[in-house]
Amino acid sequence: MGVIDELLRQPPYATRPGELQNLLRAAVQEAIGHHCEHCPAFNRWYRKQGVDPAAEIKDLAQVPFLPVSIFKRMSLESVGEQDVVRILRSSATSSQTPSRVVLDRMTRDRQMRTLGTLLSALMGPMRRPFVVLDAAPQQGGDVELSARVAGLRGYLMMASETHYVLERQNGRMVLDTEKLAALLEKFRSQQAPVCFLGYTYMLFQYVVAPLLRAGRQFALPAGSMVLHFGGWKRLAGQAVDRERLNSELSQVFLSPDPCIRDAYGFTEQLGIIYPDDGHGVRLAPVYSEVIVRDPISLESLRDGVPGLLEFITPLPNSYPGIALLLDDVGRIVSRGKGEGGRFGTRFEVIGRAQGAEIRGCGDTLPEQIYQVRA
Amino acid sequence: MKIFVLFDERGRHIEPAGNPDDSPMEASPDRLVEGLKVGQERLRSAPIDDLIGLCDAAGQAWTMPGSDVARMISSLSIGFLPLWLRRANLEPLVAQAFRGNIKAIDRFVSNGGGNGRKHRAQPRGILVHWVAGNVPLLGMISLLQGLLSKNANLVKVSRQNAGILPFFLDALRKVRYRRPDGTEVSGTLLTDAVRAIYMDHEDPAAAALSTLADVRVAWGGREAVEAIMNLPRRFGTEDIVFGPKTSFVVVGSEILNGPEGARRVASLVARDTVALGQRGCNSPHTVFVERGGQVTPEAFARLLGEELSRSARQVPPDTAPQEAFQILSWRAEYDMRGQAWYGDGVRWSVFYSDEDRGLATPCYGRTLFVRPVDDVLDVAAFCSINTQTAGLALGERRLKVAEALTARGIERCPEVGHMSLYEAPWDGMYPMDRMVRWVSA
Repeated sequence: MGVIDELLRQPPYATRPGELQNLLRAAVQEAIGHHCEHCPAFNRWYRKQGVDPAAEIKDLAQVPFLPVSIFKRMSLESVGEQDVVRILRSSATSSQTPSRVVLDRMTRDRQMRTLGTLLSALMGPMRRPFVVLDAAPQQGGDVELSARVAGLRGYLMMASETHYVLERQNGRMVLDTEKLAALLEKFRSQQAPVCFLGYTYMLFQYVVAPLLRAGRQFALPAGSMVLHFGGWKRLAGQAVDRERLNSELSQVFLSPDPCIRDAYGFTEQLGIIYPDDGHGVRLAPVYSEVIVRDPISLESLRDGVPGLLEFITPLPNSYPGIALLLDDVGRIVSRGKGEGGRFGTRFEVIGRAQGAEIRGCGDTLPEQIYQVRA
Repeated sequence: MKIFVLFDERGRHIEPAGNPDDSPMEASPDRLVEGLKVGQERLRSAPIDDLIGLCDAAGQAWTMPGSDVARMISSLSIGFLPLWLRRANLEPLVAQAFRGNIKAIDRFVSNGGGNGRKHRAQPRGILVHWVAGNVPLLGMISLLQGLLSKNANLVKVSRQNAGILPFFLDALRKVRYRRPDGTEVSGTLLTDAVRAIYMDHEDPAAAALSTLADVRVAWGGREAVEAIMNLPRRFGTEDIVFGPKTSFVVVGSEILNGPEGARRVASLVARDTVALGQRGCNSPHTVFVERGGQVTPEAFARLLGEELSRSARQVPPDTAPQEAFQILSWRAEYDMRGQAWYGDGVRWSVFYSDEDRGLATPCYGRTLFVRPVDDVLDVAAFCSINTQTAGLALGERRLKVAEALTARGIERCPEVGHMSLYEAPWDGMYPMDRMVRWVSA
């Protein structure tokens, strides 16, 4: 696994054009060889794509890709059962079936290392207090809460201390405003920048909206950050977009240098996150590449044209999640020099791919009438 | 209340790809109904021969190469529509619905009981049609039956393809039929008894339309049809529901005794799949292939891929991005655990696994799941009220198999290649019969 590890040792963002692209291609090729050798189903699929796994990759867009939903349908493993240290399940928000992804020690270590590197690049190397916009997990607590907390646990590696500021009251999530006020008072007096962390919809629904309604405002210590993730789908019905969230956030949390970041990522390539620049534009680190594909022809699209997003990374060792097509729609914004002199592919996520609006009379039968397999 | 009028006695107010919100708006259905009643009176007093003559003239005109309507028909893969409109098709269809005598919709005729009594069909009044978005052919056929039974028709189209039905109505409006005596009849005789409208799901106009309907005709998916049926209605209102159903193909081993015969059947299945964009309740999704023939189910699946590739090439796909994503998921799964045949992009796909049983979940986008069966009669176990058409490719066992399948819920057992054709009975009924009242004298 020499090339992959060499890639993962690199700083996260390239500072020269094209830098490390060869290393990424070589690492992806090494990963393909590994998964073809150790995952028979992947090997069968890969060879049916008419591509030689040993052939040199000249263009990452030519690498065969799997739809991410394959992990909801099939159990794909590239390591023996004895090597599995953890099984991840996605939140299954857009379907009833969660993804199932197995982790071995190597994959888990790589995930932790890349996530740590990317978070350090985002908020600096020093740990800081984290204010989590959720309720504290409890032994035997509710499943949804446990799943949410599991989803944000990786970020807490950057926490010097962790505080949960929501609590469940009569089955509803409620912000403990006094606890929040006391925490911020303490951090201000210590001049310690904090990080607010939480799911996007929780941040709006249980923090920003109630504080705005109550007319409450809090001053943040300089250098503080709001980091949210999980997507906008659950806010769509409330007509909340990035502009509104950021604007209302700035009204309740007063900061001399406001820093609001929306992190994008997904269970099947855990360890790599794509924080935005505050305006929805994200930069792929050197550990991965993003490709945009036409949903009908599946060809890679030219920059600026919206299509289905594909992500390529050699990071997963225990399952073949290296080139994955998502049902999220996005577009490439630029590939040149950007903020901080960083080079790489900049993209934005536009939303979830649309289905047919109202299908004909052949649609929407109850699922139970279909028996897919014996 | 916001009712957008897309077509009325003045013609269409929307382009084929237009936005319904840009059309003239009414704040209540009252004026529409007034106009419709005038149109219906004219229709009631016209002989059925004039109505069929107009449809026949439209069927002829709409196949003229190079015409706008012919191009639209081709782009929607609804080449069946002009054929359906022809007199040779309509006269028997109307006769079937009106107890064997098409004149029964014009006047009192003998009831055939040998008792000297007469009966006739009287139109029920106002038909309100709710049309499924992306099968415009079926909405058009529903409407034409409303006209042939001399009813007034208020058609609520879906936002998707809102301009398609008004386009065809406008073309029908311009049609002229020359009677045998040389006099001419204008297409307005039919179209003045039609209004095409659009309104939002939540608009109170939906309840108002439902209340004024003498017959509610609903095409569409489960949620849409349920929502319509839950609207208030007057006592005595008739409901004609063309709800969600799925269809399949049954191929017997006797047809698979040589590659040529198998290929011919595969070609017909491909044609049924591409027609209606595979979105009709009569579109096949599963192909049950009986083991024991010279051509195995797996080999038939491969042939089907070749034929589907040929048919799909002629018609561009209308696959939504989410559907494309689903198709890719199935491809990956079958590449890993079974067999998958597909072309570039997501134009067509055929999947096969020895392990698969039962009906496949429709995936759309010209996607077929081929499933082996030991005996074609085993397919009866998968039939229910939720299944509609079984396209049969069988020899002498055809009627025996049709008996078994229809006893378990299947409504139609046409030959393969004819699945997409609209015929009567449909969904277990003669629709035009439900659009009239039978009266005696």
